[in-house]
Amino acid sequence: MEQRNGNPVLQKVAFVRGDGRSPSEIRHISARLGVFGQADGSAYLQQGLTKVLATVYGPHQPRGKSAGNMLKAVKGIVNCQYSTAVFSFGAGVRKKRPRGDRKSQEREQQLRHAMEAIINLELFAKSQIDIFIEVLQVDGSEFCVAVNAATLALIDAGIPIKDYAIACSITVADDVTEKDEEGAQDGGSLIDANWVEECSPGFTLSIVSLPKVVDETQTQSSLILAHGAGRRLHLSRLEALRQRALDACKDIRDILDAVVRNHLHTHAAIQSVEK
Amino acid sequence: MNPKYPIICSPGQRLCQANKQYIAGQGTYEELGYIYSKFAGTVKVIEKDETYTIEAHGLPDPTIVPAPGDIITALVTLVNQRFAKCDIKCVGDVTLSKKYRGILRREEVRATEKDRIEMYKSFRPGDIILARVLPMTEAHTFQLTTAEDELGVVIAESAEGAQMVPVSWTEMQCSKTSIREPRKVAKVVPEDVALGKK
Repeated sequence: MEQRNGNPVLQKVAFVRGDGRSPSEIRHISARLGVFGQADGSAYLQQGLTKVLATVYGPHQPRGKSAGNMLKAVKGIVNCQYSTAVFSFGAGVRKKRPRGDRKSQEREQQLRHAMEAIINLELFAKSQIDIFIEVLQVDGSEFCVAVNAATLALIDAGIPIKDYAIACSITVADDVTEKDEEGAQDGGSLIDANWVEECSPGFTLSIVSLPKVVDETQTQSSLILAHGAGRRLHLSRLEALRQRALDACKDIRDILDAVVRNHLHTHAAIQSVEK
Repeated sequence: MNPKYPIICSPGQRLCQANKQYIAGQGTYEELGYIYSKFAGTVKVIEKDETYTIEAHGLPDPTIVPAPGDIITALVTLVNQRFAKCDIKCVGDVTLSKKYRGILRREEVRATEKDRIEMYKSFRPGDIILARVLPMTEAHTFQLTTAEDELGVVIAESAEGAQMVPVSWTEMQCSKTSIREPRKVAKVVPEDVALGKK
C-alpha cells in the first residue's frame, strides 16, 4: 500500500492505530480508591500511560480569602487545583512550574464546573470542598482522566453526588480526504486519543457527560461541558463526533462502576469480619 | 424485606419507582419519577404503615461535629478581657480530624460571682480545657461553657515550661519552681485513682 502524505503514525492500515487499537477502542483503565490515609477521599486512575492522582478534602470550614465571601453564600464552594508534575512529559521535556500557568487555570475552572454539576452544593452551605489533581504522567487526554479520577475520589470521600461525571476525548485526524468525508460522517475519528494522536494536526474534542442509565438497553447522556482544541472543524461533523464520544463515556462508566463495586465488596467484607 | 446480604449501590443507580408507597429517604434523590442513590454503599428499606422509605448509606463513617451538650477538649489560643478563643480537639473520646473554633465568654466561666471573673486569672493561651458546647449562635463558632465543677483547665504549663499540678479549684502549682498560678481548675478524678477503682 502506498504511504500517504501526512503523519505516518495515523496510517489507516487495516484500521489499526499506532498503538495497536481500533478507532473505537479505549485504552486500558485501572483504578484504586483510598490510596491516601490522611485525605477524606483519594483515587489513583491510570488510562493507558496517563496517570492521575486525585484527593478530596471536606466538606470543611472555609479558610483563607474565600472565607470572607462565605457569609453571604447559601451554597458550598468547590475549590479545584490542577497540577502537572514537572517530570510528567516525555523524555527530556520538563515543565518549569507544576501549576499556576494559564493552561492549568483554565482546566481548574473546567474541572470545578464539572464537579459543581454533580455535587448538590445546597447540602453544604457555608462549607468548602477541596479537590486536588496531580498528573503524574501525560500520554494524552489527561484532563479527561483527571475528571474521572476526581469523581472516584468524591465517591471515596462519601460526598453525595448525582451520578458519575465521565470525560472522554475524540480526535479527528487531518489526513481524511473528502472522499472519506462523504462516505462516513465520523470517518477517521479516534476515541481516547493518546499523546501522538493529540499532537498531530487535527481536531480534538473533550467532553464531560453524565451517562444516566435509563434502563438496561438505553442510556441517556447529558452533556456538562465540551472543549475543542486544534484546527477548525466543519459543523456538520460535530453531532456525529459528540454522539460517538458519549457512547464511549458509557463504556468508561461501566468500567469505573465495576471498580467502585469491587472496592465496596472488599470494604464491606472487612467490616463484616470486624462485627 | 431485608435480605441476608446487603444491597450494594453506586451513585446515580436507580433504585425503584417513586410513588406514594416508595418514598425517597436519606442518601437518595428523586428525579423524573424514580429514586436514585447518592452514595456508594448499601441500601436500607424501612417499612412503616404500608409505606417503604428507601435509604442509602455510604460506607465511610460520617464526620463527627460537636453538638450542643457534648463535653469537648479544647486548646486555648487567645485570651482577652471578654472572651477566650479555643480550638476544639476532641468530642468525648473521639479525636476530630478537622479543627473547629470555639469561643468561651466571660459570663460562662463560672456559675457563681459572674461579675468578678477575670479572664487572665482563669485561662492562659496553651491550656487544655474541658468544656461543654452551648447551642450555636454564630456561624463557624461554637459557644462553650465551663460553668460546672468538672469543667475547666486540666493541663497547663508554667512560664518555665513545666507541667503544673492542680492544688485547689482556683490555683495550680508548678512542679519545678513551686510558683502558684491562678486558673479555673477542673475537678477531674486523677487517672491512678480511677484505675484503682476499676
